[in-house]
Amino acid sequence: MAKPAVFLIGADKGGVGKTTVARTLLDYFGARQVPTRAFDTESPRGTLKRFHPDVTEVVDVTSAPDQMRIFDTLGSADAKVTVIDVRAGLLSSTLQALSDIGFIELGKTGQITFAVFHILGPSIASLEEIAETSRFIGDANHFLVKNHINEAPFFEWDPATYQSYFKKIKDAHEITIPKLNEMAYEQVDVAAVPYASFVANKNAKGEVANYSFVLRGYVRHWLGQVWREYDRVKLLDLVSPKSENSLRQVAG
Amino acid sequence: MLFRSCVIVVASPRPRVGKTLLSRLLTDFHFQEGRSVAAFDLNAGKDALAAFLPERVIQSAIDGLKGQMALFDRLIADDGITTKIVDIGHASFESFFMLAHRFGFAGEARSRRIGFAILYLLTPDPSSVEAYRSLRSQFPEVVLVPVHNENFGVAQHRKRYGLTGIASVIRLPQLAPAVRKYVETPPFSFTDPRLAALDMDVDIELQHWLRRIYLEFRELDLRILLTDLKASIGPLIPTAP
Repeated sequence: MAKPAVFLIGADKGGVGKTTVARTLLDYFGARQVPTRAFDTESPRGTLKRFHPDVTEVVDVTSAPDQMRIFDTLGSADAKVTVIDVRAGLLSSTLQALSDIGFIELGKTGQITFAVFHILGPSIASLEEIAETSRFIGDANHFLVKNHINEAPFFEWDPATYQSYFKKIKDAHEITIPKLNEMAYEQVDVAAVPYASFVANKNAKGEVANYSFVLRGYVRHWLGQVWREYDRVKLLDLVSPKSENSLRQVAG
Repeated sequence: MLFRSCVIVVASPRPRVGKTLLSRLLTDFHFQEGRSVAAFDLNAGKDALAAFLPERVIQSAIDGLKGQMALFDRLIADDGITTKIVDIGHASFESFFMLAHRFGFAGEARSRRIGFAILYLLTPDPSSVEAYRSLRSQFPEVVLVPVHNENFGVAQHRKRYGLTGIASVIRLPQLAPAVRKYVETPPFSFTDPRLAALDMDVDIELQHWLRRIYLEFRELDLRILLTDLKASIGPLIPTAP
């Protein structure tokens, strides 16, 4: 049986696309029939909950009762995968809190799978968070997610700068999220549905909608690229052992 | 399943091979058959489709998002138009099919009961042969029909393009020079009643030429229908264990 897996999505800097990445993760696991629940820490209002209301709870991750709602239920919840969208500015303090309660230690001992998606924007301020957060993460699965919210190339034109940030953390995996066309992004925002539902032309009630075919095409292509990145870093292997994946594939 | 409408794309990566002439003929053929038809022109210039059939052609462009939405969203819209012809022009060849593939146009068309056919004008150059093969692999379930424009000679393309078995080629017969000067001067519609006032020899030649082409188009109709039928009964046909 698969052990519980926790994906922490966050950044200390705001506006780098944390919720966007969390949404793509929920779509990714949903498309692969992996039961998943999510916690949105933008208390009292949650952006993630707007798009995935059925699986998302809004919590205050800094409060002990809400920490209990998340972490004490890992073993008993139907969903073995938990995605936590950490609000801007709280990544370091959340990691500190998880370290204090011994949660990160559980990941090290293999009782749970713990992965951190550190979302990075193309700015030095964002990249400077890497060293700070990696201090807590230790042996956890650490993903540095380059989210292309604009056309900026993440300093790849300057190898010295690039390597000083991205190559310093030896066990971190890089994930690249390409830029989504602005109009397509806004259209999904207005529709307030998961990306996968938008692509399938479905509204929040699951009924056939009337979204632009072209905008759906842009989202379809973009989501495909994001999911290929998740496949590349073998995300599915983290939530279910390889043998289970193989069985699932054989069973179709 | 029965297709409620059809999108026919006229394509070639090469310029001046007869795409616009073929698009004009298709547009007029479907109009004469009593169908509601709209044509979309991705070319610009005085010899473009829109110049010949200004009342039935919508000038289009796909280099920007708004233009892409105006074209592709309209192609799949349930707007009562039964036939939509797209003359994509050589300059838009690559981007049109890249977008169509990226957006999943063939699958979307099928789910909306829209037939999708590509009429591909054959030329002997290797890049065209390669582009044809690429279309066949990118759009395996689409009716991809090779077209031989005999105005450019009687070259045999079957071997070069790997057209084996029953893969039939639509032939665009050679146009007599006396007719050509009328046909190639825009605006011009093959459905214009004033054509009857042409010199009798020209009119006879033109009608004879049109009959041959329209016969090919009726066969194309059947081919699209057959694809539809095959897809419908496919699951009923037992497959070998």
